[in-house]
Amino acid sequence: MPICRLCHRSLARFGAQGWLACLLGMWMLMWPAWAQAQQAYVQVLDKALVATESPSAPPQWAAADIVSLPDDWAAEGHASRSGVQWYRTALHLKPVVTVHGSPPTLFGLYIERACSVVQVWINGQLIHDGGRFTEPVTRHCHRPQLMSVPASLLRPEGNVLDVRVRGYGLNEVSSRQRVGGLSEIEFGPFDVMTAHHARRMAYAIHLPQVMSGVLLLMGSFMFVMGWFNRAQSYLAYFGALMVGWAALLARLWVSELPFSNQATEILLAALMAFNTLAAVQFLMRYVARRSRWLNRALPIQCVVMLLTLMLAGSNWLYPVSSLWFAVLTAEALTASGYHLWVSRQQRSPHFWPMASLLALVLLSMLLELVSQWLPLDNRVVHVAQLLPGLGFMALGLRLVQQFGRAYQTAEQNRAELEVRIREATAQIERNFAQLSELKVEQVTDRERKRIAADLHDDLGAKLLTIVHTSDNDRISTLAREALEEMRLSVRGLTGKPVKLVDALGDWRAEVISRLSQTGVQGEWKAPSDEDVPHTLSSRAFVQTTRILREAVSNIIKHSGASQCSVTCTIADGDFQLVIQDNGHGIPMELDGRLDKGHGMASMKGRAKQLQGQCLVESGPGYGTVIRLTLPLERHTTLS
Amino acid sequence: MNNILLLEDLPEIRAWLKSLVMQVFPGARITECSRVADALVQVQNLRFDLALCDLGLPDGSGTDVVAKLRDVQPDAQSVVVTIHDDDEHLFPALQAGAYGYILKEQSRELITEQLQRISQGEPPLSPSIARKVIKYFASMAKPQENAMPEVSLTERESEVLLRVAKGFTLPEIGVQLGLSRHTIADYVKQIYRKLNVSSRAEAALEAQRLGLFRR
Repeated sequence: MPICRLCHRSLARFGAQGWLACLLGMWMLMWPAWAQAQQAYVQVLDKALVATESPSAPPQWAAADIVSLPDDWAAEGHASRSGVQWYRTALHLKPVVTVHGSPPTLFGLYIERACSVVQVWINGQLIHDGGRFTEPVTRHCHRPQLMSVPASLLRPEGNVLDVRVRGYGLNEVSSRQRVGGLSEIEFGPFDVMTAHHARRMAYAIHLPQVMSGVLLLMGSFMFVMGWFNRAQSYLAYFGALMVGWAALLARLWVSELPFSNQATEILLAALMAFNTLAAVQFLMRYVARRSRWLNRALPIQCVVMLLTLMLAGSNWLYPVSSLWFAVLTAEALTASGYHLWVSRQQRSPHFWPMASLLALVLLSMLLELVSQWLPLDNRVVHVAQLLPGLGFMALGLRLVQQFGRAYQTAEQNRAELEVRIREATAQIERNFAQLSELKVEQVTDRERKRIAADLHDDLGAKLLTIVHTSDNDRISTLAREALEEMRLSVRGLTGKPVKLVDALGDWRAEVISRLSQTGVQGEWKAPSDEDVPHTLSSRAFVQTTRILREAVSNIIKHSGASQCSVTCTIADGDFQLVIQDNGHGIPMELDGRLDKGHGMASMKGRAKQLQGQCLVESGPGYGTVIRLTLPLERHTTLS
Repeated sequence: MNNILLLEDLPEIRAWLKSLVMQVFPGARITECSRVADALVQVQNLRFDLALCDLGLPDGSGTDVVAKLRDVQPDAQSVVVTIHDDDEHLFPALQAGAYGYILKEQSRELITEQLQRISQGEPPLSPSIARKVIKYFASMAKPQENAMPEVSLTERESEVLLRVAKGFTLPEIGVQLGLSRHTIADYVKQIYRKLNVSSRAEAALEAQRLGLFRR
């Protein structure tokens, strides 16, 4: 229960990272229970004779020393041990009974660690061959090995077990983990040993394999992500670190490499320099501290390390690489400390996750360091090897999540921006359209005024002279009309529409004023302002003005009327103007038609131009009624 | 009406106008000009009771003469005689101080009638010009609320303008408001005067502003 509570608390704080740590912890707790149950069936061989193989002769067992297993070739006393060693031990069969109740027919021989490759004989019979004994030597330092031993091979007493191991001395490797040696040999019923072996394999080989794969995938993914987003270059470095770590983990399970041991050891050591580069750059860039100096120094360090290791050769590899590891560790620690300090200063939300990850890595490295000097339980070493990988995965997930969120926000901003740009563009287009319309209007207006001024000055003046100098009434009337026509052509076609209310005002003023000057009693009826929301096109206004003017002129000049009424109405979309007088009417022509000299024809023609009609009712003595009807839809628009 | 200035560039029309003026004001001394420059010299040297000015002249606009006359001889009455019937030409002339306007192509009888009315102190005012004046003073009222009282219209003046805009003649308005035709004519004269004053105030403000900018 306390574990679970711990789980919840850490889950709340660190998310996925906490989960993984919890699972691992529970797994570790369950392990010892199994180990005890199996011990009864298994005998452990921990003493052996040891002899060095020479190319010319078989091992000299007579002069052999007795060593206790596990035998570490780096241990004090036989630091010079390397090459091929033979171990011989006696195997006494214990009378054991399996769970099935019968004596076992197949036994298993389990070797936890035989570095780097092993061959096994029983009573002179080869039962196991681990791999190549010549360069490139098979690398099985981390691989637990199980071999089956048929009961028929065994005698009840005096069985001889020979183990041939090919390994390297301390100076030929870069890590104590890969110094040659042989662990205790366990012997028992095959099924028991198989289960035991399978569990050890899971920790030593399969889990690292899985983790290498996951780290490689995630790392490559993040590297590509960081590569294409230079602002988040820390992602690329973290990806590189994960890939580097995956390669480092591969040392646990990759057994066949095309290089000699020396080349492999140098590469593995140099890999640490690469990982340090990635880690330091990530730590710096994650708190937005870029340094040109670091960008140059770290790759140079990688190359220098590689060169010094190559120069060190097989005899100095271990001391030189140990020195380098100390330097790299110091660098990583400094970078971590600096990162945490800056992160704290920035009150960054990443401080605690990063601090716990760094603590985890530090812990695992400490364990690893301790395991180089003190014989620690293999399980602790395995877990220590896996912890940083787990931490990296958790942090990787977190970084990807952050990146995803940032990407989402950026997308959202971009979408908003796009909308705003679209709006602004539409606005600009609208403004531009309005502006160009305005411009066209202005230019047209200016041009119209120029033409009007020219015409007035030239044509207008001449027509005017005719109007006022001609003795002929008809000619001066024609000239006056021509003058009006000229005005219409420069103003009527392009002029602004006239409000009908204003037009009525103008007409009324003219009609009443003219009638009153000539002593005709005038009457004007028009709808009130509110009922006339229409506008009249300029042409309709001018033409209607002329018709009205002509009609009033006729009344003044010819009708002899004493009264005249003008009635304006708007009904059914028509505008109607009725001009009525009480004069003596228009005389008939001989053919029964009304006298054209009174301008009736031109009035009718003008009405027709406006798609309207002009009706004249008259008879001698009955006065005259002129009805002008114009369809409003065609000449007006509702304002 | 003893001294009359006649500014017109077309000889035939000038002769025609002269005969018309002589008919309306027998015995008056008529000074004829065909150029703005000549007219400006005459205005400086002689006193006039009435000036008939064309607008579009070869060396400028008759509006300049109207403005000059307003400045040096405020008692003189300027009347614009023009072929242009649009407000764009008439309104600036009225603002410059013209007292009325006559369209040249009108019949002799009509022009005679108008001249008589003007000489009797009844200035012409068409509905479209009245609408323009209303709009002009409305736009003036907003930006300068503390403007001189004489450049804003009184209620009566606005009333008269509104009725003119609707097409009522001045005598009709007199009947409607219960006022004599002379009182209505006085209102119209006052409106013309204010139009001139306010346009001058506007020009002064504009000049001041330009001066400020230049400094």
